[in-house]
Amino acid sequence: MSERTTPQHTHGGEPPPGDPFVPAREAELPPDDWGRRRGGRRTGTVWLFAALITAMAVGHAWFSDQLTGSAFLTWATIFTAICFQALPFLVFGVALSAALTAFVPTSAYQRFIPRKASRAVPVAGLSGALLPGCECASVPIAGSLIRRGVAPAAALTFLLAAPAINPVVMIATAVAFAGQPEMVLARFAASLLAAVVIGWIWVRFGRTEWLRLPSRPTDPGESKWRVFRESMVHDMMHAGGYLVVGGLAAATINVMVPREWLLTVAGMPVVSVLVLALLAILLSICSEADAFVALSLTDFSPTAKLAFMVVGPIVDLKLIAMQAGVFGWRFVARFVPLCLIVALAATFLIGGLIL
Amino acid sequence: MNRIAQGLVLVLLGAAALTATVPTNMYLNWVKPAFGPFLIAAGVTMAVLGVWLVIAELRGEAEEHAHHAHTGDDEAVAEAYVHGGDHGHDHSRAPRVAWLLLLPVLAVFVVAPPALGSYAVQSTASESAAPPRPEGRSGQFDDGLEEAAEGEVVPLELRQFVMRAWIDEDRALAGRTVELTGFAVPADDGEGWYLARLQMACCAADAVVNKVLITDGAVPEADSWWTVRGTWVEPEGELYDVNEHRFTVTELEEVTDPPDPYE
Repeated sequence: MSERTTPQHTHGGEPPPGDPFVPAREAELPPDDWGRRRGGRRTGTVWLFAALITAMAVGHAWFSDQLTGSAFLTWATIFTAICFQALPFLVFGVALSAALTAFVPTSAYQRFIPRKASRAVPVAGLSGALLPGCECASVPIAGSLIRRGVAPAAALTFLLAAPAINPVVMIATAVAFAGQPEMVLARFAASLLAAVVIGWIWVRFGRTEWLRLPSRPTDPGESKWRVFRESMVHDMMHAGGYLVVGGLAAATINVMVPREWLLTVAGMPVVSVLVLALLAILLSICSEADAFVALSLTDFSPTAKLAFMVVGPIVDLKLIAMQAGVFGWRFVARFVPLCLIVALAATFLIGGLIL
Repeated sequence: MNRIAQGLVLVLLGAAALTATVPTNMYLNWVKPAFGPFLIAAGVTMAVLGVWLVIAELRGEAEEHAHHAHTGDDEAVAEAYVHGGDHGHDHSRAPRVAWLLLLPVLAVFVVAPPALGSYAVQSTASESAAPPRPEGRSGQFDDGLEEAAEGEVVPLELRQFVMRAWIDEDRALAGRTVELTGFAVPADDGEGWYLARLQMACCAADAVVNKVLITDGAVPEADSWWTVRGTWVEPEGELYDVNEHRFTVTELEEVTDPPDPYE
């Protein structure tokens, strides 16, 4: 609960956070009985988990006969599917981001990424094409890039571009839309355009204090492996917890919202694009699979399908929840509407030009 | 959420991922078979990370963390952070939302969600009316219908069958005996049943329904699996305008051990 902080530069004259030997902190040292209380709480935690595991065993024996509601089971299947599909990507992203934090010196970034934020943005956008993964991987990576001194705008551009234009997603799109190379091109162009434009807007108008990044103080003497472990656990807890929130929401909408109403608007030019953009936000399908779903929405125009594939990796429920976990709600409240507007504008522009 | 709890949550999550993949094939109900190795790797990583954290904690790293930690009311501190008032932070604790990571664990160990079945097909009925329109891709069939000798029974996936039925302007499917496998979904109006199969690109959340209407014979129980042989009922008029394709069954056999539920 106390995992919140403001960025480093706003500290002003305050002592750097995390230094254990700052005199001001001594007043906050724990009372003498701290160790005992903590020990008690730790034992309590272990008991809690033992009880949980027992309850699960009992629950399994009891539920397997009781749980026959088709609607509930369908919901449970979709929820579990979203979680377990995202999990490998999340673990990969979290491990990579922890490795970046622990083992790559800050100077390395400064060599590769232009110092000027407005020039760093397109570089970051294009390097998004290098990371094979979906949006679950890119959120923690963007977080660690910002912590390592990369301009927030550039890291955010990377966050938006990576799930949309990486090779795996491009190949999946090409397979789904076989015989329509213009769809692949349009997706690449619109997604990259949106990511870079959002980056530039953030360079101009973004404020660092909107980002709530744990500054994660590291003691100079702390071993790199320990930094790695701490970073990984921290990101798993934040991004993972919110991933589950997103999965819950997406599974509920997947089961509850009848898709009949979709077809009634399929013929309207602008409305159909907005409806598929909304559907992409609500369903939160992984960017590597969304092309196949877009293809199945056969009654919609190519531009509407493009909107589904451009908006989905940039804004969706799962992503919003994860961004809130890593960057905070103050950030999300500004960043998400911006992303949505720019992504839609890029869709209409590129869709009009290419499709 | 203290560090022991974080470690144990990670261990349980890892155990859930491994349980669904190694001793059982539960994961096939939710994701593509190709995800198996990645799930195993992720499960092992999380379990190791969790154990590592718990061991480190028990060895006494806690005392050091206590130096960083704020004492006092967590809620008040969190409130202060939200309003940007405080800057210190105790990175050894996790937010309350992290408890939700136990939900997938509960799902695996308690509910063990099955593959999507007739309920999902019925609730998405109209969405699945037509497969992808050709849009320049006709002639690209992967079903081996042309290679098969005349008169031979051609085993097709429902996906391939439906694709043929809707897209193939040459109507190569007409008059051919094909074999399809899927599960039964009784039709809403009580007239006949659908043989259905879900096609999955990545996970069950993106599953797309392929189905064919069968009107002869008794309606089997929902979600029972069948292998049917028969022929496509060739529709009159434009293929695009067809609402649903029909199938005449000549032979039908219940499948007792359903295969990978998705295509």
